[in-house]
Formats: sequence, structure tokens, C-alpha cells
Amino acid sequence: MDGHIKNEQVMAEKNGFWDRFNQNSFIKNVRKHWMLYLMILPGIIYYIIFKYIPLMGSVIAFQDFQIFKGLFASPWVGLENFKHLLHYQDFHEVLRNTALIALYQLVFQFPAPIILALLFNEIRILIVKKTVQSLFYLPHFLSWVVVGGIVFELLASQGIVNAIREMLGFEPILFMQEEAYFRTIVVISGVWKEIGWGTIIYLAAITAINPSLYEAAVIDGANRFKQTIYITLPLLLPTISVLFLLNIGNFLELGFDQIFNLLTPMTYSVGDIIETYVYRAGVLQGQYSLTTAIGLFQSVIGFALLWIFNRLARKSEQGLW
Amino acid sequence: MKQSIGERLFQIFNYTLLFLLAATMIAPLLQLLAVSFSSPIAADSKEVFLIPVEFTLDTWKHILQNEVLWRAFGVTVFITIVGTILSMLFTVLTAFPLSRKDFLLRKPIMLMMVLTMIFNAPMIPFFLTVREVGLMDSIWALIIPGLVSTFNMVIVRTFFLGIPSDLDDAARIDGCNEFRLLFQIYLQLSKPVLATIGLFYAVGYWNTFKTAVLFLRNPDLWPLQMRLRAFFTSEEELAAVDLIMGDFDFNTTTLKAATIIFATIPIVLVYPYLQKYFVKGAVLGSLKE
Repeated sequence: MDGHIKNEQVMAEKNGFWDRFNQNSFIKNVRKHWMLYLMILPGIIYYIIFKYIPLMGSVIAFQDFQIFKGLFASPWVGLENFKHLLHYQDFHEVLRNTALIALYQLVFQFPAPIILALLFNEIRILIVKKTVQSLFYLPHFLSWVVVGGIVFELLASQGIVNAIREMLGFEPILFMQEEAYFRTIVVISGVWKEIGWGTIIYLAAITAINPSLYEAAVIDGANRFKQTIYITLPLLLPTISVLFLLNIGNFLELGFDQIFNLLTPMTYSVGDIIETYVYRAGVLQGQYSLTTAIGLFQSVIGFALLWIFNRLARKSEQGLW
Repeated sequence: MKQSIGERLFQIFNYTLLFLLAATMIAPLLQLLAVSFSSPIAADSKEVFLIPVEFTLDTWKHILQNEVLWRAFGVTVFITIVGTILSMLFTVLTAFPLSRKDFLLRKPIMLMMVLTMIFNAPMIPFFLTVREVGLMDSIWALIIPGLVSTFNMVIVRTFFLGIPSDLDDAARIDGCNEFRLLFQIYLQLSKPVLATIGLFYAVGYWNTFKTAVLFLRNPDLWPLQMRLRAFFTSEEELAAVDLIMGDFDFNTTTLKAATIIFATIPIVLVYPYLQKYFVKGAVLGSLKE
């Protein structure tokens, strides 16, 4: 229903645009507002060179790309690279790691800021709220190199975590070298870094809720908990749904920086993800076509998930489009 | 207002939990700060808990005399200042026409730019393109390939759209052209949003890492984050430190801690300003149109 109206609007806008275009008013427009065209020119050139040309360059996934022949002379091989991938042991492992870590992030990292925002909302003393919030926002601004360094230092054999373990009478553990801990460390460090930042949008949405709703609920005898469950949370749902969709589109893109800075050769078997693998096999070893095929595969999965979940979201709430 | 016992208990629980979690946000940095001022023996024998043990400045003296680190610091300062200025300029110049109703190509160009937020190119074609452009092993590789952030551009455009158009008419009657309209009127009115995206860009440039990994083979050009990473991972660099150690009172544990703090100090220094503006920006960017 909503989508239908939207479609009509888009059609109308399109018609308007082409009508004006056809009336040759485009040239008039350029003449009259040539400064606007001049202003946007550098931006357009930037987007073409660094966004669209690489996007078009993805076609090397269907080639046997050779750097000296270039894009136009390299032979086309159809789906050969993708077929190769399916039988490729490394790819299975990397894909499994990526999907698992992505799933853990979705389950733990996505809801964390929602819960934190609800807890923030229960703090009544403004100065306490502000102070606590500023502490929570800080890690967002640190680079993953720094956070990775912090994690390695704190979890090292002489680090504070092992110091505490020793005090409690446990054996020290080399956390960063053990496969069993890697994904947990990825999730915890991710939550630590981004949980505070993630609350901002939810807090803004909570502020926008009409206070009279709460007043009415109080008169009906709802306590704070019930107000949260029956008013705040339902009214946050559209925000949650939009952020979920934005997230799901990048489902398999875990962020190169984080994994790259936490990974050691000892943990490759559980932590090597698409992006780190593509970097090593593609950028360092020059298997351009194969790794582009992996990248393209990743994008297609992301877009498919976005499309599916957007359809689902449109049925109940609102989608992205 | 009266509170039930349950609510009061929850309040106590909530405050305790949030204080503890907030403490974990800052405690790791304080711990490393303490380690960086401790003697290496104390640091390695797990005696340091948030307060330096056997206080010494040797680690910091060594760090602050490390030319390689200062060189990387210089590269980062350069790309942060030059990059932020260029990015702001490109962003504003792109956002302004896209906010003008007179601009006929406004919709298709906006669509073309926003689409790149959903479809971003895989790493390898991006890498090959940047190499083809000739930016390999150039300091500009840290700036130009990521010059405009679509997110920031949308923030600025949204802000421009909110400026009342009466101003335009007044300006036009005064014979003000579009460049002057942008630079003398719109930008003057947009200072808070410019501060926001300026800080976003600056932090982004300060934390530049991936582009350096991809495009810089020459260690002389490495920015601070890349140098830190090399310092954490490469044994040779740490060994070189051990060789010259001699009488000094530091080791790789305290040095690593100090370099982490070194790279964090500038962020912490601008943090109060950051905080003033970023909340606004993060919310503005999420507005849908």
C-alpha cells in the first residue's frame, strides 16, 4: 500500500524530470546555474574514479585477469572462477569463519546498544547520565590498531587478565594464540568499542517519544518496567528495523581493521575471514580474479539478504525502500 | 513520586551496572598508562593494577626520542590536516548543488552517490584502480581514495536543505552569485554541522590504517597507526629495542603500552570538542528522506 504510493511518486518525479529534460531546458539550466555544475564536477569525478570504476572493475571476476594485459585484453572465462571457489578448501573455511562471526555479531553486538539505551533512559540524574555516556562513547574514536594493541596487552601472559587469573589460583592462558577464544574476543572487543556509540540513535528516538503516552500509562497504573516494555520498545521498533536492515546489507563485511588487528597465524583456522583472506591472496599474492570473485560473492549475499529482509520489514513495519 | 521496592532495587542495580561498565571503558587505557610508567620488572611480574609500580620515565623518554615514531606522527598530522581540509571542501561543494532546487540533475546525481553506500566495490578492483591512478606508495593514497564520505555529504546536504530559502532570494536581489551564496551565507550558517563532519573526517584520517596497508609499501610514508601495528607485530623492531636497551629501564611490554597511549592522547585531547558535536551529527546522518 505504502509502497504503491511511493512508486507513484517516483513515477511522477521521473516524468517531471524527463519532461523538463525534453523541453531542452537542460541547456538553459546549465547556462543559468553553471556554477552549480562547476561545483559538483570534482565530486562527480571522484565518485566515478573511486566508486564506479572499481565497481565496474568487478568484471575481472569473470576473467583470467592478467595485470600486464589489463582489463580489456585479459581472457574471459565465464563462471570459471566461481566454480573453482566451490571446490576450494580455503574458501570453505574462510566462508564458514565469516558467516559464524557475522552471526555472533548480529546476535550479540546488534541488540547490545538497544539494551544499553533503555538502561541509560532509566538514569534520572542528568550529570550522572552525561558522565557515564561520555565514557561509553570514547572507545568508538580509537582505531582498531589501538584497540587490538590494548586487547593483546591486557590478554598477554603478563597482562592484567592473567594476573587476575593467577590471583584466583588459575593457570595463565595465552588467549590470543588459542583458537577457542578468538571469536569470543572478536565479539567482546566489538561490543566494547561500539556499544556506546550505537546508543546515540536509539536515545534520539526515545527522546522523540511523546511524554503524554507515559503520563497516560502512569494513570493506568503502569510502572517503569511496563512503560518500557509497552511504550518505549514498540516505538523504537521502526528505528531498530531500519538499523537492522542497514546492518544486514553488510552482513558478511565484518570490518577488515578489527579482524586484521586481532588475527595471528595461530588463529587463522577460526578467524581468517573473507576480507583478510582477500587481502593476503589478492593484494599480496596477486590472485586478482579469484579474490574479486570472492568479493563479488560477498556483495551479492549482502544484497540478497538486504532485499529479503526489506520485504519482510515492509510487511510489518517500514522498509528501507 | 513514590517508587515501589522493586523499582528502587532496579535503580540500584542499574546504577551499579552502568558504573561498572563505564569503568571498563576507561580502565584498559588507565592500566596501560600505569604500565607505561612502571619498571619493566614490575610490569612483567603482574604487579601493576591501575597505579604505576616502581615509577620510571625511561619508557616515555625512549618513546619520545624514537625518530621513526615521530616521522609516522608527522605523516598522520599531515594527512589529518590536509585531508580534513580537502574532504570538507569536496563535501561542501558536492552537497550544495544537491540541495538546490534549481539544479536539474539533483535527483539522479544524488541517487548515484547514495547507491555507493549500498554497492561498494570489492577490495581488489578498488586496489587495482588506485594503483592504476598512480597512487601506489604515495602519501596521497591515504587521502584521495577516501576523499568524500557519502554519509557526511548527506549530513551537510540535509542541513543545507533546512536553511530557509528566503535567504536565497535576498542574496539574489543583492546580486550574489552561487559561489558567494555558498561560502558567505550557507557556510556561515552551517558552522555546527561543519564542525561535526570536520571532526568525523579528522578522526577518520587520524585512524587511517586500511588504505596504508593496501597502498604503502615504503615504511617512510607509514602513518602512525601503521607504525604502531608494525611495532606490535614485528619482532625485529622490538629486538632492535632490546639490543640498545642496556641500562635503560624499559622493555617491550612497557614500550607497547606507551605507544598505545601515545597514539590515543590526541583523540582524548579533542574528545571534549568531539563530544559536543558528534551526537548531533550521528543523529542528523540517520535522517531518511
